[in-house]
Amino acid sequence: MDADTATWLPIRYRASNKLLVLLAWLILLFLITPQFVIVPLSFSSEAYLSFPPAGWSTKWYGSFANSPDWGRAAINSLAIGLPTALLSMILGTMASLAVSRGGITRQSLVAALMVAPMMLPHIILAIGLYPIMLWFKLLTSYAGVIIAHTVVGIPLVFITVNSALSRHSGSLELAAMTLGAGPWQSFWKVTFPLIRPGILIGGILAFASSFDELMLALFLTGVGTQTLPRLIWLQMNDYLTPTIAAAASLIFLVTLGLLVAVSILQTRSGAEKANAHG
Amino acid sequence: MAKRGGKLVMEQVQKRYHKTVALHPTSLDIEPGEFFSLIGPSGSGKTTLLGTVAGFVPPTGGRIEMDGVNLAMLPPYQRNIGMVFQNYALFPHMSVFDNVAFPLRLRKLGVAAVEERTRKMLATVRLPDFGHRMPSQLSGGQQQRVALARAAVYGPRMLLMDEPLGALDKNLREELQYEIKAFHRQIDATVLYVTHDQEEAATMSDRLAIMNAGRIVQHGTPRHLYEHPTNAFVASFLGTANLIAVIGKPESGEAEVRVPTANAGLLKAINTIGQGAMSEASVICVRPESIRIETGEQAKVCANSNRMAGKILDATYTAGTFRYQVQVGTETEAPVAVRLPSVRQSDMLPRGTNVSLVWPASATLLIRKD
Repeated sequence: MDADTATWLPIRYRASNKLLVLLAWLILLFLITPQFVIVPLSFSSEAYLSFPPAGWSTKWYGSFANSPDWGRAAINSLAIGLPTALLSMILGTMASLAVSRGGITRQSLVAALMVAPMMLPHIILAIGLYPIMLWFKLLTSYAGVIIAHTVVGIPLVFITVNSALSRHSGSLELAAMTLGAGPWQSFWKVTFPLIRPGILIGGILAFASSFDELMLALFLTGVGTQTLPRLIWLQMNDYLTPTIAAAASLIFLVTLGLLVAVSILQTRSGAEKANAHG
Repeated sequence: MAKRGGKLVMEQVQKRYHKTVALHPTSLDIEPGEFFSLIGPSGSGKTTLLGTVAGFVPPTGGRIEMDGVNLAMLPPYQRNIGMVFQNYALFPHMSVFDNVAFPLRLRKLGVAAVEERTRKMLATVRLPDFGHRMPSQLSGGQQQRVALARAAVYGPRMLLMDEPLGALDKNLREELQYEIKAFHRQIDATVLYVTHDQEEAATMSDRLAIMNAGRIVQHGTPRHLYEHPTNAFVASFLGTANLIAVIGKPESGEAEVRVPTANAGLLKAINTIGQGAMSEASVICVRPESIRIETGEQAKVCANSNRMAGKILDATYTAGTFRYQVQVGTETEAPVAVRLPSVRQSDMLPRGTNVSLVWPASATLLIRKD
């Protein structure tokens, strides 16, 4: 829809076109506004959460930084999110390679099962994992919640790597083999460089999903391993201070940053793809 | 680079997937340095056969040997057989130079040797100044030349090509056909080439094999296959063939037989089947360019030729040739195609002209239907 097309379109269409654009903006506003409400709340001068805030202050960020509980939770979130991302990248990539290049029968069924943990309600996963973790004595440990978050993270990597793989014909690997590259060499020299953006995007998404995940954290973490979302949830029940809003704003900021990183990566690998077909 | 290509021997090689047979037991010898093509419609087994040589398709039976070495146990990356793909399969994240140098670096050649051989090979495919470019910056024809260079740079004794020109347009395809031929002479490797384009195969190959439904139907030089097809499939797959239905039993003559046909009466033909097989499972094949057209009343029956009366249904002119469709006998039968070079004719005969078709008995073949 360039200016070119618009000039010869009848006036009625042009009007409805404008209406459509307006509607799109309204929907976007509706989607985004609630996310940003948290930010002014965190700068409130009041001692409790209220909207709109009566005055402005940054003291809640100070109290967040000075609180050992919040600091501990932030470190826990990283200590759980980073290994989750790493494990998801390794396992998700392997699964994706197996499904799209491994010559598996019932490919689409296997792919659907791989993605299932992402689609199913987390509460089901949480209730299912609870007795298992209890059995393996992993309840309230880092390992327990990392495993749980990896279950949700693998599908994210699986999807992004699948899409990266589907952009390149399998004959690239066959070509590498006829040129003398064994399976290991053809993976590292040919396949991996091509799907690296996909792996990275999947890893970032897996980290982000772990970083703001509450349900599994509630069931599987303990006092020593609790994450930021879990601490926010606990404090919501007891205190309702704007420190919560400050913590939430930080999570929001980190997630937003990660999403920006993802979209930059996607644009870049998209441009490469456009080049390859040009 | 003056080494001879390898000799490929296939013995009873076959491939089945559960109950479906992709390749019936097939035996084939390809001589050192030969340019050998496999042609056939899609699904005829030519890519499967190629895959068994490359190592992508493990055969379910038979032996494949290269210069006496059994290939069956070797994975693709230990066979030293180069391959060129229809979609070029250049590594998009590597420059042209790095693509061509890839097999040399895998073989741990020194930096200087890699540099020298890569440059030399890029010059051979007439892309000496393209080393720093990325594959996406090249045209399709250039990409395929890079792929050729990459497949041949490490000196494999055999090159496989899987419809390498299939993705290119017609003019470029013809240009590259001669280029690949010249390239083949320079690198002196044995080439096994797959295509569904019979003209391409005939242009390029020393010998070719025609495949259908998972078997090789016939193999030989392009000329031999065109002039001596063993059955109707081969005859109509290569060029155009007029196939005339046979009714009843052919009568033996000396060198030739007399064959009763529905449309053309008794035809004198060369019997390629032999005495035993003469039945209704046979058909008469006449190439369009062996037929002459006569108009008017000069009807003299020559001892060694066949003659049929007909009416011109369609007449077209393409590139120096008059192409006629001539209806012979009833309209339920397919018209007979005739091709005459336009330089020797005065005018194209109009539609509806009554004509006589005359052709020598030596160009009339009695062949098997299938």
